[in-house]
Amino acid sequence: MNMKSIYFILAIILLQTSLINSVFCQNSATNSGGQVIVVQPKIMVIPYTKEGEDLRTVLENDENKRIAIAKIKDGFDSRGFTTVDFVAKLKAAKDNNLFTSDNQSDMKSQIIQMSGADVYVQAEVIVEKGESGNSVKLILTAYEASTGNSLSNKVGESGKFYTDDFNKLASKAAENCIEDFLNVMQTKFTDIVNNGKSVIIDISFGVESQYKMSSEIGSYGLPLSDQIEIWIEENSYKNNYHIQGTTDLRMIFDDVKIPLKNQVTGNNYSPNKFALELFKFFKSLGLQPHKDVKGSTIYITIK
Amino acid sequence: MKKLKILCSSIILFLLFFTISCSINIIPTAEVNYVSGKEGTITMRAIGIGTNQENAIIDAEENVFNVIFFRGLPESEQKIALIGTNETEEKEKHKEYFENFYKNKKYRTFVMSSIPTSDLTKHKGGKKSITVDVKINLVALRKDLEQHNIIRKFGF
Repeated sequence: MNMKSIYFILAIILLQTSLINSVFCQNSATNSGGQVIVVQPKIMVIPYTKEGEDLRTVLENDENKRIAIAKIKDGFDSRGFTTVDFVAKLKAAKDNNLFTSDNQSDMKSQIIQMSGADVYVQAEVIVEKGESGNSVKLILTAYEASTGNSLSNKVGESGKFYTDDFNKLASKAAENCIEDFLNVMQTKFTDIVNNGKSVIIDISFGVESQYKMSSEIGSYGLPLSDQIEIWIEENSYKNNYHIQGTTDLRMIFDDVKIPLKNQVTGNNYSPNKFALELFKFFKSLGLQPHKDVKGSTIYITIK
Repeated sequence: MKKLKILCSSIILFLLFFTISCSINIIPTAEVNYVSGKEGTITMRAIGIGTNQENAIIDAEENVFNVIFFRGLPESEQKIALIGTNETEEKEKHKEYFENFYKNKKYRTFVMSSIPTSDLTKHKGGKKSITVDVKINLVALRKDLEQHNIIRKFGF
C-alpha cells in the first residue's frame, strides 16, 4: 500500500467521522452542556363513567365531577406537576372528529391513547343523600395506561352534613384524600426510578412468515422463543421480566422493566430505544423484523 | 464483727442500687399523635423530655419532625415517612442538612405554633416532661426537602 492510498483512506475516515458528527451530534442551539432532565410521565385526570354513559356530556352535566377533577388537578399542581387537561383533549378530539366509534368505553381508551398520557387518574363521585345528612364519596384510582398497573387507590369522604351544597362536599371529599393519594403515587414513582418502568413486548409473525417460535435458528440452533427469553433476561433492567404466554405463533411479555436513564450515558431511555436493541437482536439472528411502538408497548412482527 | 456485718451489707446495698440506677436508660419514644390536618398543615401532640421546660419543648418539636421524616403518622395525610424509614442511613447521607435543621434550629421555620397542653411533670433522675401541640407547615417542609435534594420531586 503506497502513501497515496493511505492518505486517501485517512481522508475518507475523516470525512465519515465529520459526517457522523454533523448528523448525530447535538446542535449548538439545543446543547445543554450534558444536563439531562428526566422525562416526566404525562398524567390525565378523567371522570368515571358507567356503561353506556356519554363521556362527552357527563362532565358538562355534573358540576360535582368537575369540582372533584379540578381539586385533584390542584393537588398535582401544588406538588409542582402539570397534568394533561382532559376537557381540552376531549374538545380537540371532538373538533377533529377523531372518534372512530360511538362506543363510550372505546371512546375513553381513544382519548387516553391520543392524549399520550402515561398515567390516568379516574375519579368517581358518589353523592349520598340521607335524613341524617348528605355526603359525597370520591373514589380515586391511578393506573399506568400501557400496563394497567395500579399506582394508587384512595377513597375520600366528605362526612355527613346537613347541607345541599354538594359542590362543597365534593371539594371536601377530594381534600381529605388527595395528599395521601399523591404520596402513595410518589412511592410507586420512586419504585419505577429505582427498578425501571414497565414495557409490554408483543412478538408475532407476518402472514407469509416461514418462521415459528419453535423454529431452530441462529448459530446455536436453539428454538426462537428460548433465544428471545435469554435476550430479554439479559437485557431487562435488573433482570426483571414476566412472560404472559408463548404459543408457536406469538410470544407476549406483559412486563419487562427498562431503566429510565441509559446506564452508560445518563440520557433518557425510552421504549423506542429498547425496541431498537430488540430489532438489532432479531437482525443478528438473520430475521427480518418490523417494529412498532405505541406508548409503552413494543410490537415486533417477523416477516 | 457487728460493724463488719453492717459495712458489708451497706456495700452490697450500695452496689445493688448502683447497678439498678445504671440500667435505667431513657429509651427514645415516638409519643407523637395526630391531632388534625388541613390545607397543607398538620397538628400533632407530642411528649418532650428535658431538664427544663424549654428543653422539653425542643425535644417534643424534634420528635414531631423525626416521626414525620422517618416513621410517618397514621390517620394523617402523611401516613408514609416523608424521607424514608432508614433513619440512620438518611441522617448520615444528608449530614449537613440535618445538622443545620436540628442544631441551628432551622426546623423552627416550619413550626406554625407550639402550644404546651400540660404542666411540666417531674420524673426520677431530674428529667421533666411536657405535652405540646405542634402545628407544622407541611407544604413548605416538603418544598425545602425537595430543594435540598433530600426527597425527590413528584414524578420520576
